[in-house]
Amino acid sequence: MGVKGVPKQSLDRSLDLELRGRGRHALYRRLALGVLGLIVLAALLGVFGQESTKTVAAGQRAVLSVDAPPRLRGGLLFQARFEVHARRRLAHPDLVLSPGWFHGMTLNTVAPTPLSENSGEGGLTMSFEALPAGQTLVVWTDWQVNPTNVGRRDEDVALFDGAEPLASAQRTVTVFP
Amino acid sequence: MDLVIRSFLAFVFVFAVTRVVGRRELSTLEPFDVIMLVVIGDVQQGVTQSDYSITGILIVLSVVTLMTALFAYLNFRFPRMRPFMEGRPVVLIDNGAVIERNLRRERLTVGEVEAEARQQQIVSLRKVRWAVLERNGRISFIPDDEADASIFDQAAL
Repeated sequence: MGVKGVPKQSLDRSLDLELRGRGRHALYRRLALGVLGLIVLAALLGVFGQESTKTVAAGQRAVLSVDAPPRLRGGLLFQARFEVHARRRLAHPDLVLSPGWFHGMTLNTVAPTPLSENSGEGGLTMSFEALPAGQTLVVWTDWQVNPTNVGRRDEDVALFDGAEPLASAQRTVTVFP
Repeated sequence: MDLVIRSFLAFVFVFAVTRVVGRRELSTLEPFDVIMLVVIGDVQQGVTQSDYSITGILIVLSVVTLMTALFAYLNFRFPRMRPFMEGRPVVLIDNGAVIERNLRRERLTVGEVEAEARQQQIVSLRKVRWAVLERNGRISFIPDDEADASIFDQAAL
């Protein structure tokens, strides 16, 4: 304070010319820039999404593989691909997606279109046509992350032939705010 | 709730960036900065696409801040890069004489230079010893009464 009750606004020789107490400011600024550099580096390495990873679950009668990004951000459009390779004939191949797939997500398209879809406690079941032995069914799905969907949750996928479980892929997804 | 948190985080981050990037970079609005400001709103969609996240803002701002700091450092550390990064000033008037060639090069008219001069309380260009189009796009006028002054590098003469 300069004159009593009036805030001091003029230059101070000690603070503003000799820079007393400001010797480390440049260091702090460099450290802050270093933090920003780490953020960019982490982004380049895919820490914040949205590189896809593949999870393979092999059963005796079929192999299930899921290709989807495990890390996402609000608003992102992404694709998840499910491949079912039949080692033996599958009469009623059903893909069951756990509720985590639909929590705060918008499913835009599924190709090929399932014969039927049913929702239950275990998630959403998509039923497809019979798959002969040696054949592969590829299901393409396109999604968008709702911006308010933040957190980590399970995104499991199970393959059934009717009521018989064949393979199960355990995955998680992390959505950054 | 969500909007409050998002805007709070965006505010804190932008505030931190303005403190980190250095006051010199923020104090001058050069042609590049103006174009960046105008274009960035449109570019943003191309950069972030459908990304509506705070994380996306953080990443994009980090890249822009680091690039700004890097260019400022290069400009400071390597004088030979300055003409490339900042351009060079252009003398428009020499000893009261308008240099038409330089005006044409910068697509300036005498009327525009006169208008700039009037804004600096200079009535006539004949009263101007030198006028210089600076790197930041502003025109500096050195009046004729600065008899001993020179804007040119004495060592280079």
